Amino acid sequence: MARENPTENALCLLRTRLCDPNFAFKALSHSDDSNYSKLKFLVSSSITEACNNSILLLGPRGSGKIAVLELVLSDLLQEFPDMISVIRLSGLLHSSDNCAFKEIARQLCVEHQLVFSRMASFDDNSQFMIAMLRECGLAHKTIIFVLDEFDLFALGKQRLLYSLLDAMQSVTSQAVVIGVSSRLDADMLLDKRVRSRFSHRKLLFLPPAYEDVQRLLEHILLLPTDSSFPPDYVIAFNAKLQYSSRSDPSACKVLDILQTILADERFKEIINTYLNLDSTVKHLLRYLFRAVSDMDLESGMLSLENFKTALSNIQRHPKLECIKDCSVLELYILVCMKRLEVKEQNSYNFNAVMKEYKSIHDSVKTADYFARNVCLRAFEHLLQRELIGFADNRGQNQSIEFSPVKLLISSHELHQGMKSYGSCPAILQQLMDRQK
Amino acid sequence: MGKEESPKTTRRTTRSSALATPSKNVVEETKASSSHPPTLSDLVLGEKGESFSADDLLSSFPGRRNQILELLRLLGPQNSPMFPVFVYGGTSTGKTSIVVETFRHLKRPLVYSSCLTCYNPRILFESVLNQLFLHRKNAANGYSSAKRCESPSDFVNFLRDALVSILVNTKGNSGKVTSKRSGKSNGNMIYLVFDNLERLRGWDKGSTILPLLFNLYDILKMPEVGLIFISSASPDTYYSNMGYVEPIPLYLPDYTQDDLQKIFMRNQANKKLYSSFLSVVLRPFCRITRRVDELSSAFSPLFTKYCEPITDLNVVPNKETNQRLYNFFRPHIAPALNETFKVSSQQSPEVEVKERKGKGGTKKSRDFEVEELDFHMPTSAKYLLIAAFLASRNPATLDSSLFDSTGGSNNRKRKRKLSDKSMEQKETAEQELLLNPGSFPMERLLAIFQCITSVGEGPLDEEEQEDGGLGIQDVNGGLMSDVLLQLSSLCSANFIVTGGSCPLEGSTRYRSTVSEDMALKVARSIKFPLSNWDNTIEHKFQTVSWCQVSAGLPSNNCSKPPIRVTS
Repeated sequence: MARENPTENALCLLRTRLCDPNFAFKALSHSDDSNYSKLKFLVSSSITEACNNSILLLGPRGSGKIAVLELVLSDLLQEFPDMISVIRLSGLLHSSDNCAFKEIARQLCVEHQLVFSRMASFDDNSQFMIAMLRECGLAHKTIIFVLDEFDLFALGKQRLLYSLLDAMQSVTSQAVVIGVSSRLDADMLLDKRVRSRFSHRKLLFLPPAYEDVQRLLEHILLLPTDSSFPPDYVIAFNAKLQYSSRSDPSACKVLDILQTILADERFKEIINTYLNLDSTVKHLLRYLFRAVSDMDLESGMLSLENFKTALSNIQRHPKLECIKDCSVLELYILVCMKRLEVKEQNSYNFNAVMKEYKSIHDSVKTADYFARNVCLRAFEHLLQRELIGFADNRGQNQSIEFSPVKLLISSHELHQGMKSYGSCPAILQQLMDRQK
Repeated sequence: MGKEESPKTTRRTTRSSALATPSKNVVEETKASSSHPPTLSDLVLGEKGESFSADDLLSSFPGRRNQILELLRLLGPQNSPMFPVFVYGGTSTGKTSIVVETFRHLKRPLVYSSCLTCYNPRILFESVLNQLFLHRKNAANGYSSAKRCESPSDFVNFLRDALVSILVNTKGNSGKVTSKRSGKSNGNMIYLVFDNLERLRGWDKGSTILPLLFNLYDILKMPEVGLIFISSASPDTYYSNMGYVEPIPLYLPDYTQDDLQKIFMRNQANKKLYSSFLSVVLRPFCRITRRVDELSSAFSPLFTKYCEPITDLNVVPNKETNQRLYNFFRPHIAPALNETFKVSSQQSPEVEVKERKGKGGTKKSRDFEVEELDFHMPTSAKYLLIAAFLASRNPATLDSSLFDSTGGSNNRKRKRKLSDKSMEQKETAEQELLLNPGSFPMERLLAIFQCITSVGEGPLDEEEQEDGGLGIQDVNGGLMSDVLLQLSSLCSANFIVTGGSCPLEGSTRYRSTVSEDMALKVARSIKFPLSNWDNTIEHKFQTVSWCQVSAGLPSNNCSKPPIRVTS
């Protein structure tokens, strides 16, 4: 769709890149010892040698296991067009054996232009799968099973895993099982009979090194020079981010003073702060997305400000925000509960809190003394905000006033929150401190 | 392989036909002219020609400018993919309406489903799919959904199919559609909005559906889908042991006092007058709550009160009138603050009664004629309620002293002592009482009930004798059955809850949930001196004289030895 506005176009392109994990991982996949090359070698060798194989891809959530796998699969599908069929399962969706076999049968049917019956039983489906494995083996076709959230398949009786891996023990079959999990001990969850049939090949996905992150940032944020964008816009946009030998020297001179973003120490600091929290690629992409979506459409340039605000926007302190939202009366109740906890009353309820509230009012006459039902409502608000919670969940049938409650925030958080609270009564601060 | 083929029906064809027919039906029924397959433009909110500019959007939500701009930036320009967004904030901060109105402004297709109305996974799945298939439940299709879909895997399959078919249609027809319609295409993104996400945590403890929704974007792998979650609980309360890449948070804070001022000034007939009213009222009320819904319901009766001294509501108040109004109004503020929340909450049944009570109170406007309070409850039920209250509040060991004349005098002495020195004991005792209303077996309840009814007999009028059927001199069998009936109805009204049965006795134990105020009100309505009986209510024990209850009662009804009663 042709747009007149190159800025909007550029923003769209950047967003598309960020939302497509495959794009990001392409940049990281070229070295020889990357997971990409290892995985590709493993799978392609088992295709060419017509043997069975099983691999586990392990790494924290968002480290690009599936993305790398997808890259490998799309490459292999091009390399060996008619020799592979891919079955994708996810532990979130197909953790029950029945459901998993059904889904396998369905995908096999779609793949091989067969008609699939929803009514087929568990037995039918599992026999169908084994028959298909044999047929495909005879036709020298490899079936690749991708089991996302592999640990969830290992929850029950593991019949799916067993029958899959057992079928792969025969010479006739030709299949690769690729398990993907964010649990590093996923293979320890397997039963003995399953584990003995599983080849213990594991690929670990680690957070990218700092140089890789740099490369990734360049790969994602720089606009392509050979695209439909107006060339001077691309040059200006890229020059703002990075010195480029190809860019116009005059433009470079102007921007010399401004300093480019990617080389800026402050930018590196921001990125480092973020990476210290979440070092996986997916989280980095999420952060970049937040920054890019703030791009100024007037000038069409990214600025250091964007990255700064994105950092503060993505690092939130929900509990502190909650405390800031509280009304003064709700703060009183929180402080009362805090005082009760300091007094080492291990279990208290609304009535006890009210008693404390009354005693506070008796000792220091405050203007904020409200009727009981008003306080009860404020108490309910706190429950809704999840700053406090019921101490045990069995007492739900009795009324709120009597069921024991507890604070869900630490005293430090309460302290911080009250400090940042705009119009917190001074007396409350004192009441908090006096207990310490 | 041939074996497998035989039992299978041609599923793909059935699905495509199933997809085509109902949607076509609906389309023909609703908009007789156009019989096009489902496209994105059908999911766009608002009328076709209507324009809802960004300025309109911003001005309709005072105090939300930054958040709306941020949401617009996150949604991005047309056809640009997005990461899932998590909109959160307290109750009545405008989460849902801001999201929906933003989409009305953007004119982009939106599939909205709330986990509050779709209260289980199946209904949620089917609601999303129905909207995507443009399927509407009606009599013709027997109010059935487009797809029967229970498991998450079916949902994902159907969802993917639906999205693909819609997107293919849009891309194919995009030229035609745009020319036919307002001339502006809606882009080819589809946004799925899940509202009230905090509810989801309660479904099977959030173990399957919650991770599914949070990982839906990764599972679908379709950049054309935008996911927006709306929740009143902050993201850190969504615990999940399998983890997920967190959606991008967007926080809507509670309104500040200035924001509230702007909000309440909207759509006011006499702005000057209302702003002078707000200047008096807003500050104190903000100390209690900053929720718009609660404040507005509290303000509306107050404003009429504020306006009482002036005859002409359109008058432009000057300084003098403001002062006069303020002087007139000032005494009403403090009591109003303490009656802020008359709107009942759905959570506890007592509040409902309180509200009823409150309404009665406002009608009378502070002349304390307690007789007018009526709970539409038989007198015997009121007595039963009080009996349950007493049984819950007083430990069983005190029964004999409370309902016995000799014990009563002992109790008085003890009380006096308590107030003097042994504060600790008292406090622990009170703590115990505060912790929970005690539970009691039915026998104890009935015994207390008999005691207090026999006392209440004195002031009872003739008519009450007739309607209540609690005259002890009546037929005993009738009394018992009536009381048991009342007990069960009180239980079902949640005034008395049945607790866990005692493991030793095996009988069900009861527990009163009635608050003290409520019990006092009920007692006053039947002129029962409750304060004499309840040792948690601080009153002096009154003169003791006792009477025998058991006269005319079969002994098996009363499991205790003859109980003596004070009056």
